[in-house]
Amino acid sequence: MNETRPVAASIGVPTPLVDGPDKVSGRARFAADYGFRETLVGRVRRSPAAHARIKRIDTSKAEILAGVRAVVTGADVAASYGVLPIAMNEHALAKERVRYRGEPVAAVAAVDVETAAKALDLIEIEYEALPAYFSAAAARAGDALRLHDDKPGNIERDVHFELGDVAGQLAMADLVREETYRNAEVCQVQSEPHAVFAEYDAERDRLTVRPSTQVPYYVHLMLARTMNMNQSRIRVIKPHIGGGFGCRTETLNTELICGLLARKAGGAVRLVSSREETFVTHRGRPETDTRLRIGMMKDGRITAVECEVVQRGGAYSGYGIVTILYAGSLIYALYDIENVKYDGYRVLTNTPPCGAMRGHGTVNTRFAFESLLDAMAHELGLDPFEVRRKNLIQAPTMTANGLLVNSYGIPQCLDWAEKASGWRERKGRLGPNRGLGMACSHYVSGASRPKHWTGEPHATVNLKVDFDGSVTILTGAAEIGQGSSTVLAQCVAETLDVDFGRIRVIASDSAMTPKDNGSYSSRVTYMVGNAAIEAAQKLRGILTEAAARKLEVRSQDVECLGETYRGGSQDQGLSFEDVVGEALVDSGTITVKGTYSTRPESHGGKKYRGAAIGGTMAFSYAAQVVEVSVDPDTGEITVEKVWVAHDCGKALNPLAVEGQVEGSVWMGLGQAMSEETRYHDGLAITGNMLDYRVPTIVESPPIEVGLIECADPYGPFGAKEAGEGSLSGFLPAMTNAVADAIGVRATELPLTPERLLGLLERTPRGRAAA
Amino acid sequence: MAKTHLTFSLNGRQRDDVVPDNMLLVDFLRETAGLTGTKIGCDGGECGACTVLVDGSPRHSCLTLAVTMQNRDVETVESLAENGRLSAIQRAFHEQLGAQCGFCTPGMIMAAEGLLRENPSPSADDIRQGMASNICRCTGYVKIIAAVQTAAAELGK
Amino acid sequence: MEYLPTLHVHRPATAEEAVAVRANHASARYLAGGTDMVVNIRRGIEQPEHLIDLSDIEELGGIQASANGLRIGAGSTLKDLADDRDIRRVYAAVSEAAESVAGPTHQSYGTVGGNLCLDTRCLYYNQSEWWRDSNDFCLKLKGNVCHVAPGGSFCFAAFSGDLAPALMVCDAEAELLGPDGRRRTPLADLYRDDGMDHLTLKAGELLVAVHLPPPDGDGGSGYAKSRVRSAIDFPLAGVAVRLGLSSGKARTLAVALTAVAPRPHLVEGSEELKGRHVDDAWLDDLRDLVRAQASPMRTTTTKPWYRRRVAGALAAKVARRIAEG
Repeated sequence: MNETRPVAASIGVPTPLVDGPDKVSGRARFAADYGFRETLVGRVRRSPAAHARIKRIDTSKAEILAGVRAVVTGADVAASYGVLPIAMNEHALAKERVRYRGEPVAAVAAVDVETAAKALDLIEIEYEALPAYFSAAAARAGDALRLHDDKPGNIERDVHFELGDVAGQLAMADLVREETYRNAEVCQVQSEPHAVFAEYDAERDRLTVRPSTQVPYYVHLMLARTMNMNQSRIRVIKPHIGGGFGCRTETLNTELICGLLARKAGGAVRLVSSREETFVTHRGRPETDTRLRIGMMKDGRITAVECEVVQRGGAYSGYGIVTILYAGSLIYALYDIENVKYDGYRVLTNTPPCGAMRGHGTVNTRFAFESLLDAMAHELGLDPFEVRRKNLIQAPTMTANGLLVNSYGIPQCLDWAEKASGWRERKGRLGPNRGLGMACSHYVSGASRPKHWTGEPHATVNLKVDFDGSVTILTGAAEIGQGSSTVLAQCVAETLDVDFGRIRVIASDSAMTPKDNGSYSSRVTYMVGNAAIEAAQKLRGILTEAAARKLEVRSQDVECLGETYRGGSQDQGLSFEDVVGEALVDSGTITVKGTYSTRPESHGGKKYRGAAIGGTMAFSYAAQVVEVSVDPDTGEITVEKVWVAHDCGKALNPLAVEGQVEGSVWMGLGQAMSEETRYHDGLAITGNMLDYRVPTIVESPPIEVGLIECADPYGPFGAKEAGEGSLSGFLPAMTNAVADAIGVRATELPLTPERLLGLLERTPRGRAAA
Repeated sequence: MAKTHLTFSLNGRQRDDVVPDNMLLVDFLRETAGLTGTKIGCDGGECGACTVLVDGSPRHSCLTLAVTMQNRDVETVESLAENGRLSAIQRAFHEQLGAQCGFCTPGMIMAAEGLLRENPSPSADDIRQGMASNICRCTGYVKIIAAVQTAAAELGK
Repeated sequence: MEYLPTLHVHRPATAEEAVAVRANHASARYLAGGTDMVVNIRRGIEQPEHLIDLSDIEELGGIQASANGLRIGAGSTLKDLADDRDIRRVYAAVSEAAESVAGPTHQSYGTVGGNLCLDTRCLYYNQSEWWRDSNDFCLKLKGNVCHVAPGGSFCFAAFSGDLAPALMVCDAEAELLGPDGRRRTPLADLYRDDGMDHLTLKAGELLVAVHLPPPDGDGGSGYAKSRVRSAIDFPLAGVAVRLGLSSGKARTLAVALTAVAPRPHLVEGSEELKGRHVDDAWLDDLRDLVRAQASPMRTTTTKPWYRRRVAGALAAKVARRIAEG
């Protein structure tokens, strides 16, 4: 008799990553680990000018230098590119005009790095300077030259909506307060600098590219477009990726340049960016000014909100339109708010382009909102937790701007964070210069309408089963360290009820795996997870039918006990291999497909232009408490501890979810305390990891995570977002804690020792928190 | 171009190479020796991804000229596994999720290896002080500290 | 492969040999740990055709105690210093400074000589070649303009080593070897107030060792630095204090600053604080004295006013710590 041992559950079990052994052993190959021998070295010549017309480029001297195999300029670029079909205004190499310092103008491929460096110097470029604008205000000034001819006033996009009765409800409120907040521009600084390895097969006109990207499919599209190549001739293989946090959610110029160089040289080119070049390629979170006004009743109920956001977007569109829309739309869906007026301005400036950084669009608005809420609670003598509890959403509901909220774990998050931190017992009793602060936050589980709308499902997963009894998951989902391959293996193992070890994941190779839009907006677990479950269910059906045939019972009578299928309790049963063998009879190798599409009611609102942005199948929710101590002599803040509750619906892999929440909170810490990109006349003066201060292990606090599981009705096993939602809450929770500790409220981040000491010195002694 | 005859021990094997004087150790490891586990994450000494052990002490291979390794003993992440099995530190980083994207991991693991050789049972604070040259952007360091403590406990058995 | 200029590495076995190599090659530079030198070579700030690797020279290693005090070989690592029990006990400022440099990996191969001879630093200087070129270079290297103080002809790049002030308050002397032989000089005299040329080393001279005299009497010393992160960062301001106490009164006092000027320097005028009770008023006076003599310029992203204020605050903190034992 076959052993009828139950297979260990996969879902809900802390599971080390399936590609973990490769990473800890050093075997994992990242883009820069490919192609050392017989490979050409690519290097990029970048603009020294912030805004200029290119009068002349002469590459002739570089071209004749021995060892140079290709030189490319804007003339080699077939078309513009950009992540949003409505805003493709960037070129891989500048044509006619440069718009920020560091913009690629020319590139070379040569036999070695010395030759490449020499060749770059031999390219002659003449610029004619144009007026340049390094702040949103300067670019918006009436007489400013347009960066792009079709963008008057240098406004990439302005967004305006007013829902409900804002003026009336503000007038009704017991307390109305207004404050202006400023967040510095920040950058992802993922561990791996950008790298691309491209091989061109001139004989067959085929290009194979290994980019350090979160979105292999978008890179594929843009390579075809900018190189004027048929998509079928391109293969994009995603290697291991050293993080992304959003800067790699759009095609980057170096990926296109490397393809152009490889084709022109007729060979293989390795293009590895320095850390400085990675900073200048940017796509971080924009410098943001947020003017916020909130009306509140004495009991803490919010009556209305007015918000104006100005983002310094940089020289090209990128994701900018989406960022400025998110900044407004996600004022909703965290609290029960009806009346909101929003005015958003995304401004084009002569600085490196911003992009979609973790918590895309929501972070700086949330900082302002939760800060002002805390100040108003203080003024009204209300506990910050109680103010949040006064404004809870009753799910399911549709927000005033048309966002679907199906599950809502804020009440549980609040309870957990309040209890775990000892808020009630400890608040106000920590002694001098020490304080507690709290805040809430939320985020989408994938955008319900993809950027490139093709009518295809959001996600497709193929499963392959063959003679060896292995189950292979073929997915386009981009594993970038978040654990997507692991979670898909778990979904399939759980649905099929097979041993985890039987499953292999092959991810992100356009020649083998189904297309996937990529890893961004926390879409993968929700969308690809659902597709994987559907595929596994289909496979299970096929296997059950096969077992029924072999056992000569009806399929509904087949019992699956782990890897044993039997037709009744007396039956000795079939092994998984037996069932697979039977299933292969007449059919051969089995391939099944699962897909996932979002439901129409989640597609967002229609009340204003762009209202679809924010639409998602499910929101994650978080509440956190931060404890700080402050040194009033130096302005130094020590974050003693963080308690964070995150409603992820269902923790499919609790180990990875914890890791995501810890990483999110900590990335919020960096933005709150030390990180800031700065420019000297548009030149990135913090383009290194000394002056751009990613927190070290020393000042990084213990983070206690509470996983709240408010199952989403449509999420895979109830799961929803985990990797972004708790980031934005840290910023205001920290500044609220500082206010609790020493009575000053920071409105400008990062709150470096310099800023805090300045604030303390400007605040009269003994003044309580405003 | 000046070249030097370099003799040194790499992961327990004696090497004998003619190396350009201007080659960084990290490039020698990755391009000449084919050991791509060691990573380059910054433009010089700011991130720790290139950390290797030289005569048992952690060192940035991106700030070290290969030819200065004459007669010395260099260890990289590839040296740790035995018979294809992960070392205790590697296993702990894997099982505790001390590695997410994995790019800082080889340097982080070598820093941990150096730390544990010197201090076999470090406190959380010792780990913070002892690994402060290595930047991780994924984990918030929480599970890295847990991984090092787990490895220390395992090695102490 | 990372781009580095063509260069020739020499590996002398003795200090004399090193000095001789240097004398033969005008563009030669000494290479110790490389934590600063190699970064600067990678950025094109230094473009030496010859590098003299000092790591084989026995004389540069080791920390030896004698009746005359302590001899610290310039090739000793910062970790050697931080781990040395005698230093920790008697010259706390020195071990505190050593273990505050960058991070532990840097400390494990960065050397005393390297930290003392560190190049001065400035936001407009410690950048890539492309960056500096795009910014028309600067007074310190290849350019005509100081971006910190345009119009001036003085370079304000700040000396940012942590060890120097700690050693200075302990009355350290530097032992130098040059083509003309050996000499000893007070460590403070190794520096001059010029960001472009802050070391008073004569042509080809090599820092061989640092000598610390035996400590005198009660009290102690300490070092503190301001930085945004708790590791890796260079100091925004660094303060070393040595305070000798006799029945609660300041008997001896020495204070030195780093990172707030092109050179590390001893604070002048501490005489007036001697003989007084070390109490809050005294600490306030010390704070004010330090603030008056800390004159950082816009060489970091952190503004000068903060670095000045925090220098004073740190001096008072360290002095209080010493006084409270």
